[in-house]
Formats: sequence, structure tokens, C-alpha cells
Amino acid sequence: MNPWIAIGALGVVSIGIPLGMMAVSALLRPSVPEQGKSAIYESGEIPTGTARLQFNIQYYMVALLFVIFDIETVLIFPWTVIYRSALEQGASLTEVLLPMLVFIGILVVGLVWAWRNGAVEWVKSPLAESRKTERQT
Amino acid sequence: MLLQSQLPNSLALAPVLVLALTALLLLVVDSIDPDSTNSAALAGISVVGALTSLGFAGWFLSAGTGQVSTGGGISLYGEALVVDGMALFFMAIFASVTAMVAIGSYDYLRGKPHQAEFYTLVMFAATGMGLMAAANSLATAFVALELASLPSYALVAFLKKNRGSVEAGLKYFLIGAVSSAVFVFGISLVYAATGSMVFSDVAEALNGTEFVGVAGLGVLMIAGGFAFKTASVPFHFWAPEAYEGAPAPISAFLSSASKAAGFAVAFRVFTEAFALSAIPAGIDWVLLFQILAVVTMTLGNFAAATQENVKRMLAYSSIGHAGYALIGLAALSAGSAQNGNVMGASMAHLLVYGFMNTGAFLFIALTEHWDIGRRFEDFNGLGSQAPVACAAMTVFMFSLAGLPPFGGFFSKYFLFAGAIGAGFWWLAAVGAVNSALSLFYYSRVVKAIWIEDPSGEFQITSKPIGLYAAVMIAALGTLVLLPGFGPVIEMAQTAATALFA
Repeated sequence: MNPWIAIGALGVVSIGIPLGMMAVSALLRPSVPEQGKSAIYESGEIPTGTARLQFNIQYYMVALLFVIFDIETVLIFPWTVIYRSALEQGASLTEVLLPMLVFIGILVVGLVWAWRNGAVEWVKSPLAESRKTERQT
Repeated sequence: MLLQSQLPNSLALAPVLVLALTALLLLVVDSIDPDSTNSAALAGISVVGALTSLGFAGWFLSAGTGQVSTGGGISLYGEALVVDGMALFFMAIFASVTAMVAIGSYDYLRGKPHQAEFYTLVMFAATGMGLMAAANSLATAFVALELASLPSYALVAFLKKNRGSVEAGLKYFLIGAVSSAVFVFGISLVYAATGSMVFSDVAEALNGTEFVGVAGLGVLMIAGGFAFKTASVPFHFWAPEAYEGAPAPISAFLSSASKAAGFAVAFRVFTEAFALSAIPAGIDWVLLFQILAVVTMTLGNFAAATQENVKRMLAYSSIGHAGYALIGLAALSAGSAQNGNVMGASMAHLLVYGFMNTGAFLFIALTEHWDIGRRFEDFNGLGSQAPVACAAMTVFMFSLAGLPPFGGFFSKYFLFAGAIGAGFWWLAAVGAVNSALSLFYYSRVVKAIWIEDPSGEFQITSKPIGLYAAVMIAALGTLVLLPGFGPVIEMAQTAATALFA
């Protein structure tokens, strides 16, 4: 038997079960439409405003910095794994240690630059400030 | 011989390493004093870095590093990179364009914020271009292409308060993202068909592969990625927008260095990985480039002829020149002895183009600095006000058109002669007709500058020394290439022939 038949059967079942459940419940349940059911659910909060609002640009700055150092970790992990065995097998320290130091050094230059130019300094947006004062009064 | 016995192989990348170190140094300087607008120091560091890179490239070229005479290309980092004559030749182009752009930016950026970032991004982009020229595996080629592209997007949108600049940056970024996706998809298909990223292994696996269809689609998509970088049809839409909206020194940088970088990596990929001797008969990329070359040069020149805006005209003419340079890939045939000559002539054309086109855009930067408008009419009578700069512009225009006494003539002559020698006389004929057409719109600028009467009063109060110097260096480069063209074409053709060996 062609193994694809089993996979096809699995696909049919996986589509059929949810469709069947929806069809059966549509037949059984009473239909009582009311406003509370069609409103957007926001964990019990009353929804306000649209979803199209401007985030503070600094969220993106922090996210970018995070991604850079996340990738740095990803690249350091395999290096730590091979470090000791590479040294034991006769690789010199300049071959094993130096490239990673250079790599981290380049990132440090970038981090220092970003820090000095205020990328990690939290500046409050004037709009959020004014809203906060409105709420307080 | 001289060099390989004296220096470690890893220093063969010195032209690129210097550019990267310069970029990091600029970041350090900016970290020490973020609020400073000491543009002289920043521009100075950039110029010194670019010139040092140029010096290394020139030294290695003359010493024969990585060339056939000293034992062929130096491959580094598990064959991820290779430094040979072609890589060094292109690194020299990038370094000289970067130096001119940095000199010109000194005046252009006066009083603007974020100058250190500007020079840093230029240096990082130049580093990426140098790596593109040295890339010897599809993965390195892609990473280098992104390293060159991402700073370029930011640089095009550098004038944050200028709507044109921001719009150009967004358009450039979107088309760049699409073509990068196409490019990397093509790489994945080639990898699927061959099981390797390194160019020589790809060629080996392609020879007699059973996945001709997959490999062919991959080759087509990779060609699309290069078409974006070189601003050729069908990915040329971004060029007029980006060049017009970008700060003029960045237009110069993108249209000369970035375009040359696209050709550098395309030359290597298509001669080493998809070598004509190894490629299956079903994948005829030479035909593809013949079509692209003809369409690109015709479209670029005809569109340029209808423009009213000088910067936009130069942008379309830059597309036309991409068409000429594509002849270097279009006039090839398997096993022909002429292949090296054609591709070498194309490389030499890109070198001359690097000077004359950078110069032309820097002249536009000068006019933007004076704030005298962008249309042809706005240039009327400029010759009486700024004769020296206008004389240089005249040199650039006639050289771009390919008139006899200038550098552009020789490079086009060798390019078309190479195409005829390789048996593709019709490519040369289309190129010659297009050159004749291009004389029409280039001479419009010259006519406006010298012959027409000024339509309004000019307010030329300043003589920006940096922009003047950069324009003069570019003009000097275009003129020095007259007597110096013999060695240049010889070097380029030797380097290109080595690729086919």
C-alpha cells in the first residue's frame, strides 16, 4: 500500500473532525444573539479605541538590540561546546579564542555606540504624558 | 610572489579589512562624543580609510597577489572567500568611489545631524561590496550582498525630514527585500540540485546533474538578484526613485560602487559556479543575459532621453550603462578564447564608469548645495558662474556618452570590440546605436550649461571646497585613464581570463 494513503486519510480526518464538531453544535445549540457575544473579548476589559495606534519607537530599539545579542548567544554556544576539545586537539589559542574575541569586540563597539547615542535611554512620549495627566485630573 | 612570501594569506583581504576597521573607528569616535558635528574629522577618517584600502588594493594588484603569475587566487576561510585579480580590481573601484563620496559629503552634510552614522554606513556598505567581489560561495555572496544593501537603504533615507528621500528609501527597501528573497530562493534551489554552496563544487555537481529544471530555475532567480543590485531590467524600478530621492553623494555611491559590486559577484558566480563548460545544455544563461543587456540598455537610454530632471536622467543613463556592462556576460561562449577579453573590457568600463558617473552625481550634489533646481533649464548659463565645475561636468557627460577624447570612449571601444571579436556583432551594434542616442541627452546638459542664457539669477555665494575637490578628482580620474588605459585594460583582461581558466 502506498504510504501516502495513510497521510491522506490523516488529512481527511483532521479536517473532518473540526468541521463535524462545528456542524453538530450548530444543529444542537439555541440561537440567542446579543451584543455582549459579538463584542471583542479583551480579558474582561471594556474594549476602547482602535488597534491602529502608534507604539513608542523605543520598543523597536530595544527589540533590535535584543535580536542582535540573541544571535550573539546563538553563535557563542557552539563555540563553547567545541572550545576545550579544539584546544586538546592542538589548535592554538589564537585560532580558537581570538576570532570570538574579535566578534564580541565588534558587538561591544556597536553596543557602546548605541548606548552613548541614547538607544537604551527611555524617553517618554509627550502624547502618553498628556494622557496620563488627563486621567489624573 | 613578493607578497605571498612576506605576508600571511589572511592579510590578502586587507582592502576590505581596512574599510571595516574604519567603520568601527568612526563608531568609536561617535561614541566618545555623540553630539559633536566635527565633520572634518569624520570625513577625514573616512577618506584616509578609503585611500588606505585603495593603496592596499593597488599594491596587491601591482605585486600580483592572487594572480596567475603568483599561483592563482588565495582562498580563505574554507573557500568562503577568494582574493584574486578580479576581486582586487573591484576593491580598487569601490575604494576610489568611497573616497570621492566621503570628500564630497563633507560639504553636502554641513550642519546636518548624524554625520558619523552617515560615514559609518558608507564604510559598512563599502565593506560589503568588497566582500561581494571576493565571495566564493553562494552563502557568502548573499551575506555580503545584504551587508552592502542594508546600509544603502538607510543612506537613501538619510534626509529624514525630506519626503522624497524617505519615499525613495522605502521603495528601495521594498524592492530590495523582494529581490533578496528571490535571490536566496534561487540559492536554495541551486543547493537542492547540487548539494554545495562553494562555486567550484557547484560547477562540479552541475556537470551532468539530473535536476536540470530545479537548477535552471535557481540560476534564473539568482540572475534576478544580481539584476536588482546592478539596476538592470527587470529589477530596475527602484533606481530612478532611489537616485533622485537620495542625497546626491549617495546616488553617486549607489550608481557606481553598488552597481560594480553587483557585477563583480555576478561575474564570479556565472563564470565559476555556472561555468559554461559545466552547465547542462538546458540552462542557457548567456541567452538570458543577451536579452537583458539589449532590453536594459535600450530602456535606460530611451527613458533617459525623455527626462526633464537632470538627476533622474542620470539615473536612467545609469540603467543604460548597466546594459553595456552586461555585455561582459552576454558575449560569452563555451571554450571561446575571447571570453576573458569581453569580461575584462566590461570590468574596465565599470572602473571608468566609477569615476565619470560619481563625478556627474557629485556635480549634482554641488548644484543641490547651491540650491539652483533640478531641471535642465535650471542649469542654463551655469558655465559663466562656475566654469571649473562645469568644465568637469562637460568631461563627465562626453565621457559617459563615449566621445573619443575621454576615458568612456576607450572602455566602450574595448567592450564593443570584444563583443565583435567574440562573434556577437549585433550586441555591439545595439550598444553603439544606444551610445549615439545617449549623446542627445548628455549634450542637453552641456548645452544648458554653456550655451543657453541664464533664465534667472543665480545665488552662488559659496565655493564648497570638499565638493569641488571630489568633482575635480573624478574629472582627473576620467582624464588620467586616457593614457593609463592600456595597463588598466590589460590588468582587467588578465584577471578575467583567470576566471575562465
